Amino acid sequence: MRIKLTSIMVDNQDKGVKFYTEIFGFVKKHDIPVGEYRWITVVSPEGPAEIELALEPNANPIGKTFQEGLFKQGIPAAAFEVDDIQQEHARLHALGVVFTKEPTAQGPVTFAVCSDTCGNLIQLYQSNQR
Amino acid sequence: MIATDTFVRLCRARDMLREVDDRPLSIDDVAREAAMSPFHFIRQFNALFGDTPHQYRIQTRLDRAKLLLARGDQSVTDVCMDVGFSSLGSFSDLFARRIGMPPSAYQRRARTMVTVPGTVPADLFPGCLTLMGAALAILEKR
Repeated sequence: MRIKLTSIMVDNQDKGVKFYTEIFGFVKKHDIPVGEYRWITVVSPEGPAEIELALEPNANPIGKTFQEGLFKQGIPAAAFEVDDIQQEHARLHALGVVFTKEPTAQGPVTFAVCSDTCGNLIQLYQSNQR
Repeated sequence: MIATDTFVRLCRARDMLREVDDRPLSIDDVAREAAMSPFHFIRQFNALFGDTPHQYRIQTRLDRAKLLLARGDQSVTDVCMDVGFSSLGSFSDLFARRIGMPPSAYQRRARTMVTVPGTVPADLFPGCLTLMGAALAILEKR
């Protein structure tokens, strides 16, 4: 059994693709129209090419309730690892990304939290261990 | 970094904007509730949520319209009024542009789906795996 696919709900798939590729720097792998929605996956150019992140529509009202609940409570929906959190924070901030938490060291990681503009808070973290 | 209380106020503003019915609610009203000038409110809302408050409100109306149309017990005209559009023509045009089919077609399509009486068909909300299955089948055919 392998972890090859994970997913995150986005409140708009167009907005999701734009943000996750143009701002976060992921690369689109699949973008297939299926009825009203699309099957969209992105991969990281820095990581294993086989691991995909699906940008799911949050069409179901229950999904929306869950997503909004997490957001309001300040709970990230996903976490991505970076090599240099200070650099990443500066780069994203310059692009207009809103951070709810600046880079903060906590034990073995330094992390920050930002909004992906698609309804999610995202945690970005760097391992402090070399 | 966004201050915690600003974050809370913007989230609460989003909740307010989600209350769509035929009562008018201006962006100025919501900005006032959020204790911000309309200019700053719109800018900060957009930065955090990726849409202006106005766009968010329109999308909320359309989402609610989809649900009501799928439930099937209201006419398109009634749904249009229910979600706060005053013109059937502009509602239908906007719906068709955003969702890809006119509201009447959307309602007809929902009627063909398997449903438990009083609920909305689950097929209207494809989960991750449903979409993936259908997408990979499309890819195979290419």
